[in-house]
Amino acid sequence: MKSTQYSEKTLEHFRNPRNVGTLEGPNVAVGRVGNPVCGDMMDIYIDVEDDRIKDIKFQTFGCGSAVATSSMVTELVVGMQLDEALKVSRGDVADALDGLPPIKMHCSNLAADALHEAIRNWRAGVKPEDATTTPVEKSCHPRPAEVVEVEIANLDDYKGKGVSTRVDDLSVLAGQRVVVLDTGDRAAQLAIDLTDHTGRVVLMTTGKEPSVSSAVRSALRLSDVKLLTEAQPLELKGEGELERIRVHDLNEDEEYELTADALVVLE
Amino acid sequence: MRDVVYADYQSSKPVDPRVVEAMLPYFAAGGTYGNAASLHAVGDDATAALEDARAAVAHFFGAQPQEILFTSGATEANNLALIGYAQRNRRKGDHVVITEAEHISVLNIAKYLEKNGFKVTRTPIDLYGRVSPKKLRARITDETILVSVGWASNEIGTVQPIAEIAEMLAGSGVALHTDAVAAEGLVPIDMSAVPVSLMSLSANDIYGPRGVGALYVRKGVQVAPVLLGGGQERGLRSGTEDLASIAGMAAAAEIMAAEMPADVARIAAIRDRLVGRVLAEIPDSHLNGAPLDPPGGRLPSNAHFRFDGVEGEAMILSLRDEGVAAATGSACSSKTLEPSHTLISCGLLHEEAHGSLEFTFGRFSKDDDVDRIMAVLPGVIARLRTLSPLYKVKTPA
Repeated sequence: MKSTQYSEKTLEHFRNPRNVGTLEGPNVAVGRVGNPVCGDMMDIYIDVEDDRIKDIKFQTFGCGSAVATSSMVTELVVGMQLDEALKVSRGDVADALDGLPPIKMHCSNLAADALHEAIRNWRAGVKPEDATTTPVEKSCHPRPAEVVEVEIANLDDYKGKGVSTRVDDLSVLAGQRVVVLDTGDRAAQLAIDLTDHTGRVVLMTTGKEPSVSSAVRSALRLSDVKLLTEAQPLELKGEGELERIRVHDLNEDEEYELTADALVVLE
Repeated sequence: MRDVVYADYQSSKPVDPRVVEAMLPYFAAGGTYGNAASLHAVGDDATAALEDARAAVAHFFGAQPQEILFTSGATEANNLALIGYAQRNRRKGDHVVITEAEHISVLNIAKYLEKNGFKVTRTPIDLYGRVSPKKLRARITDETILVSVGWASNEIGTVQPIAEIAEMLAGSGVALHTDAVAAEGLVPIDMSAVPVSLMSLSANDIYGPRGVGALYVRKGVQVAPVLLGGGQERGLRSGTEDLASIAGMAAAAEIMAAEMPADVARIAAIRDRLVGRVLAEIPDSHLNGAPLDPPGGRLPSNAHFRFDGVEGEAMILSLRDEGVAAATGSACSSKTLEPSHTLISCGLLHEEAHGSLEFTFGRFSKDDDVDRIMAVLPGVIARLRTLSPLYKVKTPA
């Protein structure tokens, strides 16, 4: 079946999503879910009064059904008692949309999960700013991403073959995919400077944010450096020279490989 | 159907009306409807038409007529090339080298070869999707019998250094196969100048009918048949020839031979204008694949973007509502829910590969297509970004 064979109702919710946005206030909690394979990300905010969902908003990065299910779940549960809202299932959301294509049932029908997560977070007293993304079908409890000491097992094998501990002449990295490990302001500044020489610079950090001063952070935001957060490099791969880095995604507890020609680990 | 801006030429091209015209005499009584294998006069007419068509297709690609085998399309040509060559030459070795930028047709055939006892190595590509001849050579062993590199990426439009790779392999005993489908009609392909052993072709990619293609097999290169039967096409591709479609492919090749330079210049101008406007008018937009300059590195028809914080299928659905037909490498639009392997191999993160949008232009693209796309695209991106929890991260504080 074509992924675009959505019901009219799904398309209508995709075109005119209800309750888009975020909420703030003392009685607000958020549920964040993501699916590492499909790439959907969903934030559902609830404002709770007398154990009822007084207001609800969402933000979603994802395909048509990810947007439509988010919109639909907010319509279904606004005004509902929390216990009642916890009973709203993925199937209920899909039914309310007159069904979803089978391939999408599993992947992007995450809205009910995000809602349940928001309710659990509210009951556990987890503030929106502390809520972490819950990988779907892995854990029902937010797991804080710890900052990890970076230790790449075979780093030395690739020294001079893609791995460098200092870069004196930035132009040697022209046209390469460069990953700079976040070791503070100097590394971040090097990453920014490298964008004048190559189209692909990734600053990789195990934290949720790079460990840099606020001035460098705003410079980073305005630059073409791609930030890769909560990522721990595990192992280097390549035939005679660096070609790929095996990375542990600390947030979603998944491993993947990132293609790269150069890795800079400043001393 | 209402007037849609069609910018998905890489998926399917309209058949040139002149080609349709050229095919019509090959169906009904009164025309050439015979079986080329028959010995009577009706069959002889078919044989003559078949050989004329073979000569026309061969001529366009700088090949000899006997080096062209007609197939049901490029997928079949890829099967015959890879499986047929590997099986026929197994005694010489059991190793095949491909690249990470190959079309899924080649990737899946390579998996089949692995299941059948062959070893397959996948050569990485660079930031722009280009395979390095040096890295390719480093993967060739004494057991290597075949290298397969697509002439150009059907996705991001990167043109591979096929001539350089072919020269490098010439005389080494390692055959080079190229799937030229994405490149045909857009970059010059001349088998008399480039020592490729096997090349897969499709008729639709030069505005011929779908369901027909060809495999170029250089004189002296041995392949085993994959389809067995009555022994047509020198015993390498059995089945009565689909003469109407083959005549269509020949007509398409003749038209393309005459019109390609003008076609390409016009298509490139449309594409260049779209790339210029998107990058200038839509914030946090990026061009995937090779830069436009130098022009030889990228198909002139291809514009492949990514937009921070926006997912591809959502863009396609929104553009569909606005009357624009485009494509995406996003996982959410694929059967496997995996993002484009080519974009990941280029070094993009999953979330970036998800935000990709591909426009491809062709012979019937109109000069105002870009204006019509740009009348709606910025609004579509802006709307989806207001929905996105990821986009705010990129906005300057």
